[in-house]
Formats: sequence, structure tokens, C-alpha cells
Amino acid sequence: MTATITTSRELARSLARSQGLLVALATLAAVFILLQANLASGFSYYDVSSTFASTATLAIAAIGATIVVISRGLDLSVGSVISLSNCLIAVNMGDSLGSMVLWALLGIAAGALVGLFNGIFVAVFRLPSIIVTLASMFIVEGITLMILDQPGGMVPASFSGFFLSDAVSGLLPMPAVLVVVVLFGWFALKASPFGTNLYAIGSSDEAALAKGVRVDLTRLIAYVIAGAVYGLAGMFLTAQTGSGDPTVGPPMLLPVFVAVVLGGTPFTGGRGGCLGAVFGALTLMLVVNLLLVFNVPTFYATVVEGCLLILAVLAGSRERIVEAVAGLRLWFRRRSKSAKPHVRRRHDDLPLPRPDDSLPSNAVLRWMTRHRRALRSSLPVYVSLLVVLAATLTLFEGRLSGASYFNSLFVLTTFLAVLALGQGSVVIGGGLDLSVPAMITFSGVMLGEWTIGGMGGFAPLAVIALAAVIGAASGFGIGVIGVHPLIMTLAVDGILAGVTLVATGGTPRGAAPAWISWLMTGKIAGLTPVVPALLVFVAGASLLLARTPFARRLYAVGSNPVMAYFSGVSIARTQIAAYALSAACAALVGILLTGFSGQAFIDMGTPYLLPSIAVVVIGGTAMTGGRGTYLGMFGGALLMTALSMALQGMLIPIAVRNVIFGAVILGAVIGLREK
Amino acid sequence: MRTEQIRSLLAGAALLAPLAAGAASAADAKPYKIFLSMSYVGNDWQAEAQNMVSAMARAHSDAVDLQIQVAGPVAQKQIQQINAMVQAGADAIIVYPISPTALNPAIKNACDRGVLVFAYDSSVTEPCAYNVVTDQVELATQSAEWVAEQMDHKGNLIFMTGVPGTSVDTDRNAAARAVFAKYPDIEIVAEPNGMWSQAVARKALTEVLATTSWDSIDGVWGATACVQSWSLQIEAGDKDLVPCGAEGTNGMRVMMLPEGAIEGASGTYAPMGAKGISLESHPGAGAVALKLALDVLAGKTVEKTTKMPLQAVTSDTVKLCKEGSFDELEAGCNTFDPALVPSGWFANIANAETPEIGFQAALVGQPE
Repeated sequence: MTATITTSRELARSLARSQGLLVALATLAAVFILLQANLASGFSYYDVSSTFASTATLAIAAIGATIVVISRGLDLSVGSVISLSNCLIAVNMGDSLGSMVLWALLGIAAGALVGLFNGIFVAVFRLPSIIVTLASMFIVEGITLMILDQPGGMVPASFSGFFLSDAVSGLLPMPAVLVVVVLFGWFALKASPFGTNLYAIGSSDEAALAKGVRVDLTRLIAYVIAGAVYGLAGMFLTAQTGSGDPTVGPPMLLPVFVAVVLGGTPFTGGRGGCLGAVFGALTLMLVVNLLLVFNVPTFYATVVEGCLLILAVLAGSRERIVEAVAGLRLWFRRRSKSAKPHVRRRHDDLPLPRPDDSLPSNAVLRWMTRHRRALRSSLPVYVSLLVVLAATLTLFEGRLSGASYFNSLFVLTTFLAVLALGQGSVVIGGGLDLSVPAMITFSGVMLGEWTIGGMGGFAPLAVIALAAVIGAASGFGIGVIGVHPLIMTLAVDGILAGVTLVATGGTPRGAAPAWISWLMTGKIAGLTPVVPALLVFVAGASLLLARTPFARRLYAVGSNPVMAYFSGVSIARTQIAAYALSAACAALVGILLTGFSGQAFIDMGTPYLLPSIAVVVIGGTAMTGGRGTYLGMFGGALLMTALSMALQGMLIPIAVRNVIFGAVILGAVIGLREK
Repeated sequence: MRTEQIRSLLAGAALLAPLAAGAASAADAKPYKIFLSMSYVGNDWQAEAQNMVSAMARAHSDAVDLQIQVAGPVAQKQIQQINAMVQAGADAIIVYPISPTALNPAIKNACDRGVLVFAYDSSVTEPCAYNVVTDQVELATQSAEWVAEQMDHKGNLIFMTGVPGTSVDTDRNAAARAVFAKYPDIEIVAEPNGMWSQAVARKALTEVLATTSWDSIDGVWGATACVQSWSLQIEAGDKDLVPCGAEGTNGMRVMMLPEGAIEGASGTYAPMGAKGISLESHPGAGAVALKLALDVLAGKTVEKTTKMPLQAVTSDTVKLCKEGSFDELEAGCNTFDPALVPSGWFANIANAETPEIGFQAALVGQPE
């Protein structure tokens, strides 16, 4: 009797523990069954074999990325490392067996080396992983371009033949075997002491340290292993495509993360596993077949992909949905009875807090002491900014006019400064907004449409309001239903991109209202009108993130949602507000960018995704939420813009510019090192 | 009345009969199943290319059953897509390749299964595929020579680059550099990276001009460089527009028209007599690929590489269209009224080989 209870309880526990994996498997099965039911001839061995060949690179890369995510990190260098290994092998591999083995191993080793670089800065210098790997992404992309500046190179047919052959003829394709071998490597790793330590540091550094785990070393090894696995993915890519292409890897960044999340590994660290990531990668690839079978029109492709993503994740959050529905019903019932849920305590009878005796009496010193953490986190970026400015002024001495330089600096900073408020608020609240690019384009396009449509001066306001509503919807999905921010905003990005294409037929019409063009390109005594407006915005944004109840709730939710909840903060409402703000900021950027470029372009938002995150982190905001100041982020925006201006003016190849860009970003955050 | 209509229809059919004779044999059988695999749809050029393929398919609707799919920027997905298209029974696959090399095994596999593969715009290196391309070396050489000529072979030049790591960008830059290197008095003073995107080009040029003044610039070269550099110059109060090459947008061509050529045009999307040479990859390459695929399916022999026409439009040859019909384009008009299309719309749509498609084809996918 007791035995059965224990086993059934154990079963339930193990089911609950592997819920993410089960959902990943169920999603894959659902997509496969849907496909199978609609294919005229069914899924043949040929399909299985070609699907594994196209999926293996993504699946292997996702395995590597999962290892970093379990250690509570984020590795943006994955795509660039795939290309590095791909180009290195394609350029150098000879026809002899020795050369094939040597260069295959060197490709993997190159990945491990990048991993070591990332690991040193993340684990030893304690820098935020997202910014370290962003910097290494740029550096590696530059190095890859130095190795191969355009598609080319070739590997022996026998090398490709080996990895694309059948392991068991008509039954088991080699790419599947390779993925399984990597998975076995992962299972062995997971069962080893290293695996235990990996999950431990992912859950809590302090707890792991207290248990005697060598936190730094474990984290370092995690990045090295991940890098080697990306290198392996690049090696397989080389075998599959038979050649090198420096542009093939970087676009895989987002699909890799989607595969990780679909695989049931949460970004909070310490949970999940690599098998799910493989299922996630297969699901992503089969969606391509699904779109073909249902003949989904091109403009709707990203919409369907976005909706599928949300559906897949919703399937895993049944409990949260039930909770949310119950909560809504309760809310409606209370509304209909018009009884207030509770009476708020009046605060005016509370005694005022006593002045803190421990602070210095001098006003300036007191302010500095009270804000020492904020100052410390935003100081490095301003120091770096000064260095870059000094370098620029020396470098372009003679041909540069100070007034016009600083005017351009502030005009160009505007876009990142506005984005930083939105993205920054979301990050402080513990989330991430990936829908920024599509929101920028969508807003710019709608501005053009509505300006022609006769809305005149109201068009910009209407665009911002619509964006805020869409952002609030993302916030609802994240805060109330519990969809992962990465998935929710990525799905919204896809849906918005599709909607933009459908609304315009691919060709955006119209231009920005004249006053917006004037704001961005006009001149009053040599000064562009947006510059004073920017200063007002910066002041307003600083106050918003420092002095308002919204800010206090945001920081509370970001630092510790549970504590925030028990302090009476509505997590859902705070997140809805943060995402609405982020969307509104992206919309404002879309409007300003349309005024700046003369018209809206379908691709104009794309270059702003990573910079919007980078300025937030460079400015001292913690990706884990709860910390950061707007002044720091503004410094980040200024630094990124000044750096880009300096590099654009220099006569050096793009490859070298990428390397310098990455190095400076890394240098700027060294000062953020946590004690 | 009814009989009258029928009679006129019959008469019309009789008139068309000789034209349709070639297609009649194809119409007896089932139409060919042809797939278009695009890598992405996120810019004006891609949208026009897609429209023109659709228009071409509509013009041959009795012979073609066209299905368009988009793979996104990830090469693996396009590989998967091509494989799935082969499985779905494609007779031919037209592909805008995300990479000239990465798709080779998938293309080879399609060929082995008797499927025709046509790549357009960018070429693929797999020998079994047909390529419909624009000669990038010729494009860059011709436009660079023109700009150098306008600069009197001396002065400071801004050299704008495209998406790094792609064959098209590498080929174009190398060819243009070779031209400018012939003239020692031409100095390249900045190399902004415009990524073939108007919005990025605008930002990059603004960055460059923060450290340089327009007074010292004598010419600009590069894709997506012209409209934005001229606009920036006007905003800086400099009315003496520098010579520029080479983009294909309608905005550039309109700015090249003599001042006052269009009534009611305002802002920087208006005629200003700017000196420029307009050249760009032809957005009709996909449509040509579709037409050639039908030829091959009908048993004709087609060259493995087809070059798209490269018609340079300079300040001397720029001419406004009234409607943009094929006949009008054929007669030499090459620019459209700002009221009809946005500035970033690609105007280089003329092609003597494809009477099926004109302005309406590129704009909304309607054949002539």
C-alpha cells in the first residue's frame, strides 16, 4: 500500500519535474500529426532524413545554448561562432583524412576558445553574460569576415558524404546519429558532478557556494563546453552545405533561443535540459513544411509562426490560465456587486519617517551617499563615453566642427535614448522585449498610412496609443497568463511584421507629417529641434524611473516578484504597464525615424533590437531585474552612438570595425564588475 | 445582346488564337506546379520582385500553378523548404537564395529528382541550377566610372558599402574600388556601411557627416546612397548637390529630373536636377526566371546563366512616365510620379524581354 503511494507520488513528482520536456514533445507530436494528416503521400524516410539534415545544426547549437541557460546565462555569440567554425573549416580543409579530422577538430576548438573568452569575462570578471557575449558576437563576426569575406571555400565530398549518409540504410540518417551522440554526451555530463554543480549554480550562486561548489570554475566550463558545441554545429553545417558563408550563422540566434524555450528550459536557470531543445528545433523546422502544406501566403508566414509559438507555450501553462480565468471572474463579480475588494488604509495619519542620522549632513554628500549604487553602476559608461569622445576629437581634428558633431550625436542618440526607457523598464521588471523592431516599423508605416488617410496631427498620437494597447496585450500574456517574455514578445514581433506587410502590400506609402520631419531634420541656429526635446525627455524619463509609484512597483517586481506580491503590488498590472511603455517608446522611435528618413521602410526597425538591449545593460541595469537607472541607460545610448560615429568615419574594413566595437563595449562594462 | 457578346468573345478568341497556340498544348495537360522560395519579404525590392513573379504567373495562368513561400533569413529553413517543395511534386522551383553556396546540396538533390531550379538576383554555385542575375561587376564599374567622370577625376568621395559578407557586396566594392583606384586624385574619405537599407544609410551618412563637412565632399558612390545624401545636403543648406551613383529608387530618379518637372511635388521627393546615375539589380529577375522555367518545361533550351538588362538612367536620360505601361516603358520612360509610388520604390522595372509585366505588375501584381 505505502509502496504504491510512494511510486505514484514519485511518478507525479517526476512528471511535474519534466513537464517542460513533455510539453516540448507534445508540441512536436502535434505539429507532426497535423503535417502527416495533410501530406498527400505522408512523411517518408526521405523527409525524415532531410529534416534531420536541416535541423541538426540548429538542434546542436540549441543544446549548447541550453547549457548556458541552465547556468543562468544568455549566450548571444552562438550564431557568430557557428559561422566562425564554418568558414574556418571551409577555407582550410584539405582532401586527406588527416586534414579533415584536424580541421573538424580545430573548428570545434575555435568554438571552445570563444567560449573560454566568454567564460573568463562572465565567471571570473563577473560581468553580465548578455553584454559579454554581445561583444564577443561582434568580435567573432569581424574575425570571421577576415577569414572569409564572401561565401566560398569547399570541403571534400567525402567529408560531406560521411555526415549526410545513412547510418543504417533507409532507417537511420547520420545527422540524427550525430544529434543523439551529442545528447548522450549531455546526459553523461548531467550525471557527472559537473552536471549537479551546473544546476546548482543556475539555481543560486550563494547556495551552491555554501555547498562547496566552485561556482566560477563551473560557470567557466559551461561556457567552454557550449562554445565547443556551437563549433560542432558549425562543423556539421560545413559538411551539410559543403562550403563556407560568413552570413549563415548570425540569423540563427533567435531560432536557437526559441528552440531552447520551446524545449522547456526557463531562462531563470537551474532547470530544464537539452533533450527538449532538440524537440524544439525539430518543431521549428517542421513549421516550414506546415506553412507549405497549408499554402500560407508569404505575408502571413510570420503571423502563423508567432501564433504557433504562443499556442505551444500556452499548452504548458494550463494552470496559470485557469488561475487567470478564475481571477477575472472574481474581479467581474466584485465589479457587478460594486463592492470594493478592500478599503485602502489612509496614509496621511502615519508619522513621517525620521531623517536618517547615519547620512552626512552636507546635502551633496548625502545625495551621493544615498545614490552610491546608482552612481557606481552608471559611472563606467560615462567614463568610457569621455574616452570615446576624446579619441574622436583627436582623430578627426581639423575636419570636425564641434557644434555640428554634438548636434548629430544628440540627434542620433535620440532613437536609442527613447528605446532605452521602454526596454529598460521591461528589463528592470525582470523581462525582455523582443518586439521592438516590428513595433518600430509598424508604427512608422501606420504613421504614413494615417497621415495620408487625413488624420493629420492626430496620427502620431493614434499610433502611440495603438502601440501601447498592443504592448499591454503582450504584458497581459506575460504577467497574467505566464507566457515567457522572450516567446511572447518574439511572437508579437512576428505577428506585427506580418500585419505590417499585409497592411502595406510590402510597399509603405506616405511620409511623416511635416512637423515631425522638421523636428528631426530642421535647424534653428544650427541646432536640430529634437535636441532640446531630447533633454526634456531624459529629465522626464529619469523622474519616471526614480520618483513615481510605477517605478517603485517595477523595481519591487523585478527584484523579487514573491515579495512584491506580498507587499501588495500587482505583478500583472506592473508588467502590463512596463510592456505598454516599451511599445509606446518603440512607436515613438518609429515616428521619429520616419521623420528622420523621409518615409517609413519595412526594414527600418531591424537594426534596433540588440542595441536597445545593449544600451540598457551597458548603462548598469541588471538583466536579472530590479536594478538600473535611466541616467545610466542614457549614458549607454550616448556611448553606443559616439562609438558608431567614430567607427563610421574611420577608413578601416567592416571586419576590423566589428572587432573594435566589441572590444570597446566589453571595456565599457569592465567597470560594472560585481564584487 | 447575349449572342452579340458571345460573338465578340469568339472574335476575340479567334484573334488571340495564334498567340495562344503555343500555350494550348500546355493547357491540355495539367498546369505545371511551380514554387517560389523567397528568403525574406521585408523590403521594397522583395515586395516588387514578388509582385512581378505573381503577375507573370497570372499572365500564364493556364500553364502555371504558382505557390509562393518565404523561408526567412535562416539558410537551414530554406534548405528544408526546398526539400519540402520537391516532395510536394514541384516541376520547377524558383528561389531567391539566402546564400550562394549553402543551398547547393538541396538544389543538387532537387535536380537529381528531375526538378528545375532557377535562382534569381543572387546566383548559386551549384552547376545544375539556372541563374537569372544582374551583372554586379558591370553595374559597379559603369556607375563608378560615371561618378568619377562627373567629379572630373578628382576630389573627395564617400564610398558606401552594403551587407558585409555577401558576394554581391564584395563584387561590387572590388569593382568600384578598381575604378576609383585608376584616378589618383580621387580620395575615398569615408566608407559608411549602408546595409542596402535607406534607414541605415541615412544614419550612416549622418554619422560620417558629423566628422566631415559637405564642402569637402565631391562625390558619393554606393547602393542606397543617393537619395539620403542629397536630402542631407539640402537639409544642411547646401544646394550644390554632389554627383552620386548608383541606386534604383524612384526617389533618386525624381530628384534627377529638372526642377519644376512635376507640379505639386514637395519636400525632398521632388525634381531638383541632381546629377546622378541610377542602376540597381533588376526586381523583375524572378519573373524572368519563371518565364524561362516555362520555356525549359516546354522543351526549349535555355542558357544556364541569364543576365538581366542593366539600363543606366542618368540625369540626361531620366524621363517621367505617364502610366507606366509596357509600351511606355519600352519607349524609354523610367521614372514615376511621386503621387503613385513612395520614394523608396524601385523604378528600374523596364525589361524588353517581358511584355507581360509593366508598372502595374510591380506595384500590385497585375499583368499587362
